[in-house]
Amino acid sequence: MSTAATHRSISWLPVAAAIVALIGLTDAIYLTIHHYTAAPVPCGEGFDCEMVLNSSWAEIQGIPLAAFGAASYFIAFSLALLTAFGDNRMWKLFGILTTLMAAFSLFLIYVQAFRIHAFCQYCLLSAATTFTLFILYSVSIFLRPRASV
Amino acid sequence: MANEKANATETRSNTPLLIIGIVLVVALLGGWWFYSSSKSKPAANGSTNSNSVKPPKSNTIPPNAPPGAQPPNQQGSASAAVTLEEFADFQCPQCALQQPNMDEIKSMYGTRLRFIFREFPLDIKAHDKSYDAAVAAEAAGMQGKFWDMQNILFKNQKAWTDNDNFKQMWKDYAQKIGLDIPKWENDMAGLGAKGRVNADKERGKFIGLNGTPSLFVNGNLVRVEDMTVESLKTIVDAELAKAAAPQGQPASNAAANANAASSAQ
Repeated sequence: MSTAATHRSISWLPVAAAIVALIGLTDAIYLTIHHYTAAPVPCGEGFDCEMVLNSSWAEIQGIPLAAFGAASYFIAFSLALLTAFGDNRMWKLFGILTTLMAAFSLFLIYVQAFRIHAFCQYCLLSAATTFTLFILYSVSIFLRPRASV
Repeated sequence: MANEKANATETRSNTPLLIIGIVLVVALLGGWWFYSSSKSKPAANGSTNSNSVKPPKSNTIPPNAPPGAQPPNQQGSASAAVTLEEFADFQCPQCALQQPNMDEIKSMYGTRLRFIFREFPLDIKAHDKSYDAAVAAEAAGMQGKFWDMQNILFKNQKAWTDNDNFKQMWKDYAQKIGLDIPKWENDMAGLGAKGRVNADKERGKFIGLNGTPSLFVNGNLVRVEDMTVESLKTIVDAELAKAAAPQGQPASNAAANANAASSAQ
């Protein structure tokens, strides 16, 4: 495959990343608002959203973790969008951010599994979007020897 | 021609910033709209907000509610016209955040207010230490140090909640506030302290509480959005004014005063 062709084949990555980041942003905003209103969240069978969202892990210094998540997703969205419009320097920053987010998501899954002993579907959705962002970035790195995004 | 090209490039370079701006505005406005609509719903059925607070079945304390621990953990004056009753859980972050507000209200009104603290450890796995914490505080109360223990437990909530060695930490706190440790440990193991916790819990359950903190002023539920010093002050002032009126004490106070036979700790 030529460099140009490879470039074309992976140029959708930042666009996809921006869309996925929007999903994460929506989820995080929903959870942030839940934190401040305590409007009950619909929770699927096998999940215990209230236990997770009301735990002491759900906030830092009174600020809900979801608010930090919303800010992170918004920044990730912005970086991916700027990359999609040709500013390739932003993709590296996107990579650093999503790596940190993925690592933190792993920690939060550990907390749900071993400290709280309950899972929240919205938190798992957030983890899934974070991992997807990380995977999208990893794919671009994998293809980089032939062409950068 | 060159100008047109430059303009086109400039427009293109502004496009992502425009989209980012639109997303930010939509996120903020959408969030605000969702917040407002979520908040108005619970308000309509007398519910609450915040971290672990969920609407109780009743907005008032029924007159036939069990009295809770006797004597209750109370501050201010037992004969005050206004009673502020709080149900809290030592592992509830919002309860710890609420503490400074309660302290401010207590110091603001002094003996014009009767403040009662009720144990309401939630039966959830994430709060696996809260029942024992409540017992530890009640056992401290048996040496007249309930408020010291309550204060230190809330202030250090995050530290002991996340520590497997939490019982040793409580012991350190007990030493710090000057408890007779063997007696405190003995009281924790005994039925007295547990009985007090269970009695408070029974009262809370009867009211229909399933979250904390829950506040009642003269037996009426305080909505979570009103759990600020300013709003509480408005509510307490209104109750004080009602009490000062010729009609006398409002009926709603009767429930909260069910415990009035007890003396202040």
